[in-house]
Amino acid sequence: MGENDHAAIRAILSGDKEAYGALVVRHSQGLFRVAFRITGNEADAEEVVQEAFLRGYQKLVSFQSRSSFGTWIYRIAVRCALDRINSSKVEGTSRIAPETDPVQREMQLPNETAGPERLLLSREIGKMQETAMHSLTPIERTAFVLRHMEDLTTEEIASALGIAPNAAKQAVFRAVQKLRCRLAALRVNI
Amino acid sequence: MKHVSEEDLIEHHYGESNASVERHLEVCGECAKAYAALTRDLAELKTAEPPARNALYGEQVWRSLSNSLPVYAKRERNWSHVGLWKGVSYAAAGVLLVVGVFLAGRQWEQRKPRTMAKNDVQAKQHIVLLILGDHLDRSERLLVELKHADASSTDTLLPMREEARNLLAANRVCQQSVTQIDDPALATFLNHLGRVLAELVNGPGGLSGSNITRLQNEMNTDSLLFEIRVLRSRVPDQQSGGAIQPNGGTI
Repeated sequence: MGENDHAAIRAILSGDKEAYGALVVRHSQGLFRVAFRITGNEADAEEVVQEAFLRGYQKLVSFQSRSSFGTWIYRIAVRCALDRINSSKVEGTSRIAPETDPVQREMQLPNETAGPERLLLSREIGKMQETAMHSLTPIERTAFVLRHMEDLTTEEIASALGIAPNAAKQAVFRAVQKLRCRLAALRVNI
Repeated sequence: MKHVSEEDLIEHHYGESNASVERHLEVCGECAKAYAALTRDLAELKTAEPPARNALYGEQVWRSLSNSLPVYAKRERNWSHVGLWKGVSYAAAGVLLVVGVFLAGRQWEQRKPRTMAKNDVQAKQHIVLLILGDHLDRSERLLVELKHADASSTDTLLPMREEARNLLAANRVCQQSVTQIDDPALATFLNHLGRVLAELVNGPGGLSGSNITRLQNEMNTDSLLFEIRVLRSRVPDQQSGGAIQPNGGTI
């Protein structure tokens, strides 16, 4: 696959734009997965995938054939997803519930007394986790997703985010601490 | 006992800690409990799985993108293609140059000792012959004086004996020098001269007329004079900057 990718890149740089189609088809699913995990939103994830492929095409001349195109475009997608959640924070369009609002938390907590309502409880827990995830800073959230769900190493996370390995490790550490605090509060209330 | 920090426990959970954390967790119940709680919490943290994309998703992405992408100019391909071959050519030329220089260096290194050795021998020979030139001159004068010596005059014979003593010491030095340049003819001559000089200095009965005649006959001093003439033709003339002197006999 790597050799096919490199052949396609040579063709693209020779003027065969259609060759990029093969790369897009081959890597779209993987990019959507990571984009969704970082943004937490299907529409945003699709936007991220398109933007990543667009940026990739524009920067294709600078692509170093020593590395894998898959890894390269994956990093671009992570950056795009990070930019998107960063801009969401700035625009104040985040769907995060106020984390210190006890009334809001009360309203979101399920009632465990009703057995048939376990499904609802699970759904509510999922919502709380999602809220907890959105309470993280964009860099913490992205680092945590890459570490916890994408199984990337600290070095790989640092490379994808363009930060120092120690900064990546600290971001994961802070994310885990915050999420655990949230979960603890959830358990108490449940 | 120093407990493991939460940061280290998190690293351990993701498989990036060192073995000491693992060993500590085996012996420390408190840290093991903390680690179990961390593992439980992280296991619970599962965000929603990404919604499945159909098989045509990639095609859809490409269709939405393709119209907005410019075509890369072909000249870039040609340039890079030519550039690649140019680079390969330069690299090959560079490698050839390095190999050539290396081989030439090896050849030079192999020839150098022989040339140096040859030059070294020639230089030594030159030095010995220069030293020998003076010795031959003095020996020639002595043998000529000996040939025409007035056996009755002690005023003549005593200085000859003294000169023979000096020449004998010089002859030993010359003999040692000749061993370095491997010249059998010269070595033979110096041996012969040495014996004559020793006889002049240490001969029984002193330097008398009868002894001189005996020496001339037995030691064949005339042949020595001839040999000196031959040898002097090989000795470079110091005043003419090393040019070979033609026959230099003064007899």
